[in-house]
Amino acid sequence: MVHTLKEQDLSAGTGFDGKPKKFLIWLFIVSSTIMFGGWTSYYIVFAASKGKGHGLVLPDVFIYSTVVLLLSSLFLFLASKALKKDNISAQKLFLWITLVLGLAFGYLQFDAWSALFHTGAVLVNNNAAISMIYIVSGFHLLHIFAGLCFILSNLFGAYTGLSLEKRKFRMEIASIFWHFIDILWIYLYVFLLLNS
Amino acid sequence: MSTISLHDTHNHDNHDDHGHHKETFLTKYVFSQDHKMIAKQFLITGIIMAVIAMGLSILFRLQLAWPEKNFPILETFLGKWAEGGRIKPDFYLALVTIHGTIMVFFVLTAGLSGTFSNLLIPLQIGARDMASPFLNMLSYWFFFAACVIMMSSFFIQTGPASAGWTVYPPLSALPTAISGSGLGMTLWLISMVLFVASSLMGGINYVSTILNMRTKGMDMWKMPLTIWAFFLTAVLGILSFPVLVAGVVLLIFDRSFGTSFYLSDIVLGTQVLPNEGGSPILWQHLFWFLGHPEVYIVIMPAMGLSSEIMSVNSRKPIFGYHAMIYSLIGITILSFIVWGHHMFVTGMNPLLGGVFMITTLIIAVPSAVKTFNWLATLWRGNIRFTPAMLFAIGMVSFFISGGLTGIFLGNASLDINLHDTYFVIAHFHLVMGSAAIFGMLAGVYHYFPKMFGRLMDSKLGYLHFWITFICAYLVFFPLHFLGLDGVPRRYYAFTEFEFMHKWVTVNILVTWSAIIAALAQVAFLFNFFYSIFKGKVSSQNPWGANTLEWTTPVERIHGNWPGEIPTVYRWPYDYSKPGAEEDFIPQTVPFSQTMTSNMPHDFEGNSESERIQREWEAKNKNASSTDASKLD
Repeated sequence: MVHTLKEQDLSAGTGFDGKPKKFLIWLFIVSSTIMFGGWTSYYIVFAASKGKGHGLVLPDVFIYSTVVLLLSSLFLFLASKALKKDNISAQKLFLWITLVLGLAFGYLQFDAWSALFHTGAVLVNNNAAISMIYIVSGFHLLHIFAGLCFILSNLFGAYTGLSLEKRKFRMEIASIFWHFIDILWIYLYVFLLLNS
Repeated sequence: MSTISLHDTHNHDNHDDHGHHKETFLTKYVFSQDHKMIAKQFLITGIIMAVIAMGLSILFRLQLAWPEKNFPILETFLGKWAEGGRIKPDFYLALVTIHGTIMVFFVLTAGLSGTFSNLLIPLQIGARDMASPFLNMLSYWFFFAACVIMMSSFFIQTGPASAGWTVYPPLSALPTAISGSGLGMTLWLISMVLFVASSLMGGINYVSTILNMRTKGMDMWKMPLTIWAFFLTAVLGILSFPVLVAGVVLLIFDRSFGTSFYLSDIVLGTQVLPNEGGSPILWQHLFWFLGHPEVYIVIMPAMGLSSEIMSVNSRKPIFGYHAMIYSLIGITILSFIVWGHHMFVTGMNPLLGGVFMITTLIIAVPSAVKTFNWLATLWRGNIRFTPAMLFAIGMVSFFISGGLTGIFLGNASLDINLHDTYFVIAHFHLVMGSAAIFGMLAGVYHYFPKMFGRLMDSKLGYLHFWITFICAYLVFFPLHFLGLDGVPRRYYAFTEFEFMHKWVTVNILVTWSAIIAALAQVAFLFNFFYSIFKGKVSSQNPWGANTLEWTTPVERIHGNWPGEIPTVYRWPYDYSKPGAEEDFIPQTVPFSQTMTSNMPHDFEGNSESERIQREWEAKNKNASSTDASKLD
């Protein structure tokens, strides 16, 4: 009797405190935003001093990839809601959908690059603004890759039956990061649309 | 019985899940996740890198002092880079480049912040460890890899990067421009990307730990100035290092893939390069947007350490605690809007130059606030001249004498004459080089007992201090005059130009001083490594300091405190408080135990505490007056 009481006490007392670690993700987001800020400021100063931007009509594939990414964010949101309601099978399903949509986004980005490539807007270009399209979308794709790793860690947690606390923590981390790269892509895409 | 043992192992709140398993040599000393061990790893790696960078500086000082003389021994060690015993021009450029890179990034950023943020943040705010010990470990190993890659460039055919520590394109962007821009430059860039990753992992850990893991009672305004300095340094790093990555990525693409981010209209020999449209000035913008905050990343931890050490050893509260913090915040903010002063002569619009000039000169205000506060802390203090204290005072001295010339250089018009001369060299070697290294050495002498449980020998410390202090001035002070005469930096031989001939004799003085200063470091190195094993065993609180780290056991256990983490009741600078029994009151002593020394402002407007204090004082006065009446 006493023993069980103690154990309950302890599990409440030694509760896994994810707050400082969650804050790390926020700080990473700040620094990552600044890195992309560095590139977009390069673009602005470059375009202002040369009087020209990339001057392209961006391939339509970018629109599809944006929609796919938005959908993936939606499904990740649903997954996180399912976990809160303890509906693990729904969470697993939504996580798989997010993962597939994330991979589809990656594929579409490659598709967009090849469309750009075929119109002659290649990476090695005397217009640095065009090269910059590849740089920002490429480095954004690296972030997608990291985001997919987070999603996989959630799936792994869901299948191996990690403690609920830790699964919720992983879900939160993945949500913060995935929504961030979603917003980051919208920023980059709108930026490139406005500064043609 | 089992209940009790279960309770015991779990009693360390927040003490995640480590500490239960046995430590092996590998997890304790190599892949350690303990912040104190990681701090020592950073420190020792930093010291090794500092010795290497100092060695490089002696090599190029030899060339500057005796440009016509042969040193056959150099050929023995350097081979083709010093054929006939004379350093080659290409290698000279590599030497100054790598000296600068190592000193700024590997010693004064990672060696300084990495050591003392790791050591002191959990100890001084009352936490078991960092927010993510694993990330902290990765931070060290990325740094280690960066060091190895940087040094490996000395072992390749074309030699290390040679475009200066700022690696301006197009020189750095064209692999065929100079031999150092080949593989050496690629290694430099890879090393720097790893380095930035390391310092970001460290920085986000420091910020999260300080904001989320302070012990009970430790509000932001009760934190020691060291913690404030490390906090703002980490914030600076998080906000500025990513921009360097952005710039470096573009440079990598220019070098390896043929893009034109920084390149335009270049003729190499007889060959016209296809690159068009880029601008090397844009690299300078991206680089200095990091580069200027970087000098504050270097100096602010030294400022924090010196503030703490000067207060402890003056046995006085730091003068102007709040002003010290606000000036640090001021420096942090201003540091982001001054980068253009590195670029006054790039053809910048004079109006824009004027704006950068004003923001630059405004930095003199918080810097002066700090300087006067340090001097006022010393004023009428009970000063104990420990080696740490001497180095802290030395830091203030260098900060003043180097900072004054910053006012010259910050002027857009004066900079036309002074830019890229030895005046700049003199300025930043005093204000951020010597000052920061003195702050770091002060920290090493002061916190050595906290790291190793033993004391360093103070006699050797005094020897180390005085020789280094005098020689550092002898090295850097004369360089001002070279600069005023227009002698440019980075030139290989002073004999090539008529107007520079007369300065060769000064160079001989400077080089001899540098050699003696380097020899003085042997005293430090011996002292450091000998004391780790054979030093006098330290007591728990050898300096009589108030901060939390001195409440931990000398044995430095994992998790820092054996029982509960202490609660904090007061600010860290209650030294020589009138009415107190001793000349220091640790942060863990509640006001109820120091009724004789409490001041009205100690209670921060808490009327209940003020009432209790008043009542106690009234009662005590009665008691003493009845004592007096008995005597009558």
